[in-house]
Amino acid sequence: MRDPVVIIGGGMSGLAAAIRLARFELPVLVLERHLRPGGLNSYYYRRGHLLETGLHAMTNYAGPGERNAPLNRLLRQLKLSRQHFITHEQLGSEIAFPSQTLHFGNDIALLTSQIEERFPASRPGFGRLVDFVRAYDPFAIRPWRSARELLATFIPEPLLVEMLLCPLMIYGNSQEDDMDLAQLVIMFQAVFLEGFFRPQGSIRDFLDLLLSHYQKLGGELRLSAEVQALIVRGDEVVGLRLASGEELKAQAVISTVGAPGTMRMLPDCLAGERADYQGRISFMESIYLLPRPALSGVRRDATCIFYSDRERFVYRRPQQAVDLEVGVINFPENFQGLPEGELARIRVTHPANYDLFRQAAGDGPGRGPDYQALKRRCQGQSLAKVGKMVGNFGPKVVYQDTFTPLTIEDFSAKEAGAVYGSPLKVKDGATRYRNLFLAGTDQGFLGIVGAMLSGVTVVNRHVLPDAGRLAD
Amino acid sequence: MTRDAIKEIVIEIIKDIDEEANTAALAADRPLRDQLDLDSMDFLDIVMELRKRYKLQIPEEDYPQLNTLESCVNYLEPKLRHL
Repeated sequence: MRDPVVIIGGGMSGLAAAIRLARFELPVLVLERHLRPGGLNSYYYRRGHLLETGLHAMTNYAGPGERNAPLNRLLRQLKLSRQHFITHEQLGSEIAFPSQTLHFGNDIALLTSQIEERFPASRPGFGRLVDFVRAYDPFAIRPWRSARELLATFIPEPLLVEMLLCPLMIYGNSQEDDMDLAQLVIMFQAVFLEGFFRPQGSIRDFLDLLLSHYQKLGGELRLSAEVQALIVRGDEVVGLRLASGEELKAQAVISTVGAPGTMRMLPDCLAGERADYQGRISFMESIYLLPRPALSGVRRDATCIFYSDRERFVYRRPQQAVDLEVGVINFPENFQGLPEGELARIRVTHPANYDLFRQAAGDGPGRGPDYQALKRRCQGQSLAKVGKMVGNFGPKVVYQDTFTPLTIEDFSAKEAGAVYGSPLKVKDGATRYRNLFLAGTDQGFLGIVGAMLSGVTVVNRHVLPDAGRLAD
Repeated sequence: MTRDAIKEIVIEIIKDIDEEANTAALAADRPLRDQLDLDSMDFLDIVMELRKRYKLQIPEEDYPQLNTLESCVNYLEPKLRHL
């Protein structure tokens, strides 16, 4: 048996890459630092309640018949049956600005008709924009181009440009203020043309499905296995050293811990080079649990509300700890056909400043009282703000928890809590080492479907064509 | 292995890759990709399945020879003769 292909990180991109290799009986080993796989998209228990992280809604919805849609291509590549993959589509979402609101769903016709009604001068341009997005290949290698400028060439009303950017940036842009055109196209397709859904059950069920499939195919997963360093010889990675001191051999390595996280494991990395790949966009998120009857005073019609209190949408690391004037309010119960549980959840997300949370926490292992106080204060302000928007549910909350950029950094291998990874994307996943590849959000793919497709693509492009050498 | 048996294997692999593939009406001399709406990702799976099942190494430069059902059989016949 040859040395395995080692995958660093058991999140969505790593598991997809691993399943793809195991499917063809190639030796593969996933190393996950934590006790539970999933990375950013995982779950935990508090007082017996399962709480999900990451997933608000999956993007890229496609019905079973749309065989070339990203979701269905992904399932086919992983040899998972679309017929058995039960989905719940969103009820509908909205973009709320001070002077205007737009609703959208999983059929672009809704957003188009809303634009026709509220921004009639932009209706023809919006139609041309949709055609442009459908025809554009976002994975071709091209120089960076401003999404804001491109949108302005189609859409004459600046407020509409800001409103369209709001959900697309919040759900997947790693840059401040503007967005690469290719990224805009990816997000526009994922959010407006395909739309939001949830798989049946929780993220735990989805992870369990991926893991049992992987293990049935003969793949190996090691938990609590933190990689400390990559062992290199010339332009080749020959093995890995774990935090425990153990050394493992590898035929090839696929790293899903981001460009800066991977560089940190290499012997010849320059600190300045690593800093170029570190993102600045991070978030604070609070999850609230409340008894279902308590939802009576709260809006029940939306799946996600993306809002901006400013007519010009500001998307950047805020000066203060959190930016309450921008956010997403997500209602995980508001999908079609979900069974009713005893408790309902509401999740609220705002842009947040990593450095300020880091300063409050200090550099030690514990987080300390200043950090806890900052977190509590921000969460309280957020709750008051959101209560005014959707109905004051605060007094009925039976349990709440808040993640900061530091929590994201700890649990997702995203340096500085930059959920969407590096602003510099390594689109083809290649590195200067011939058998080391990157997969995940640092390739420009986003969301759960995107992350998984990135794992699949890297395996297809770099590992399978060489599979002869990897055999036996 | 006979030509008919090889043809059955290719069809079985296609069905395995795509649960919805309609292989009943496949014309032997027309490109598989057009008839089955296979993309390059799906196509790679045919190669990988052949490798997995029969330890066949198919180099990238030979992929065009798997274009139609008939050309698949022509290409695979000498390689699977011993089975």
